[in-house]
Amino acid sequence: MGAGPALRLEGIGKRFGHTWALRDVSMEVAPAELVALVGPNGAGKTTLLRLVGALHRATAGRAEIFGLEIPGDEELVRRESTLLPPHGFLYEQLTGLENLRFARLMAGTKPSREELLDVLARVDLVRAADERVGGYSSGMLKRLSLARLLLRTPPLVLMDEPYASLDADGIDLVDGIIDELRESGRTILLASHRWERAIRDADRLVVMERGRIVWTGTPAAWAERRDAGGALAGTPGPERAGAAGTPGERPATGSGA
Amino acid sequence: METWLRTWAILWKDILIEVRTKGTFNAMAFFAALVLFIFSFAIGPDAALLRRLGAGLLWIAITFTGLLALARTYHSEEMAGGLEALLLYPGEPRAIFLGKLVGNLVVLLLVEAILYPVAAVLFHVDLGGHFLSTAGVAILGTFGFSVVGTFYSALTLHLRAREVMLPLLVLPLLVPVLLGAVSATAALLTPETAGGLGGWIRLLVAFDILYFVVCTWTFPVLLER
Repeated sequence: MGAGPALRLEGIGKRFGHTWALRDVSMEVAPAELVALVGPNGAGKTTLLRLVGALHRATAGRAEIFGLEIPGDEELVRRESTLLPPHGFLYEQLTGLENLRFARLMAGTKPSREELLDVLARVDLVRAADERVGGYSSGMLKRLSLARLLLRTPPLVLMDEPYASLDADGIDLVDGIIDELRESGRTILLASHRWERAIRDADRLVVMERGRIVWTGTPAAWAERRDAGGALAGTPGPERAGAAGTPGERPATGSGA
Repeated sequence: METWLRTWAILWKDILIEVRTKGTFNAMAFFAALVLFIFSFAIGPDAALLRRLGAGLLWIAITFTGLLALARTYHSEEMAGGLEALLLYPGEPRAIFLGKLVGNLVVLLLVEAILYPVAAVLFHVDLGGHFLSTAGVAILGTFGFSVVGTFYSALTLHLRAREVMLPLLVLPLLVPVLLGAVSATAALLTPETAGGLGGWIRLLVAFDILYFVVCTWTFPVLLER
């Protein structure tokens, strides 16, 4: 890992068929920073996280993660990052414990049952450890995903809708995990359409819309903007790019850091 | 070590899912036996003819049945949200191919363990005399089949008409493997009408090695979307 930014994106674009999911996305994230990607459904948040995690390949542009380049160093990037996916990527026919065992084996280490139960205890799922995941509720699935995340926490943690499907206890659990990750110096890129949670957590907000970054700035800058009546209709977010700035706010040219 | 653990993880996970769902294996075994029965009834009671055609009919049944298995190679990942489910875990991507390959190989060999005795009865051939040699040829043929099939199953995963595309792409490539397997099996089971066992086995081994090296080497490219 070099001394530069944890993450640098330059002109990233991603096309699925004839549709551009991302266009000309450029931003930087400093080490140990928590950046929240916010925006409506279809804004490109999930696609961006998957590109950064080297799960998808960009159609245009380049990315640099702790000095590792995409395209080129995808496998190393996967070692330096982990993703909390929105829909689990869990196997319904396996139990919660078996899903974690699989994750551990895939990471190249043999786990003990006790070790896995400890992780499940952290997300309050021990009682369902030996139940098949197909019978889990959506909240339980999210908790199991969080348990899998806790098995391996590399320097860059990507969280896609971490609060989705969770009750109040679950939201507190995610907050606790995020606090813990921050204290240990992890860089976090978090995508959420829940503005209030993103504002609580983030050092910086990156607002996306239709595959582009339209605004970036601190939560305080966004709050000022909202109080000044600049929020986007239907959301508590700031108005579109190019509007007058407030302290801590950056122009929406896609440059984030 | 890490590669082998990852290979084992995929194999363990797929076999566990298969044991719990029993979907693929039961259907394949039933389908394969059905194909053999249909051939047997279609050809009639001519024992000499059945013996002569037995090896070919057996491998046709294995091929059809194998295509069913290949189409489901990445089914558990599709149900879990896509191949990205496997990319979440860093490490040698070829381990994914190896795990899936061994999984297909095990399932197909288990089906063949049922199929060969059924074929022996229906086609009037004696397996006992060349049991080990016949098993060896079955393993070589099934290995080549599984290598090509596992690779192309990943290649066609995101195609709209993949149920059609998979056999269209796989079958032409399997010609040398099937030719070697059918001819070697025939040379063992009906030596009075077929020969050249050594040559066919060398062909099988050569294509198995070639396909294994090429498919394993290029597999990581298939994971990129």
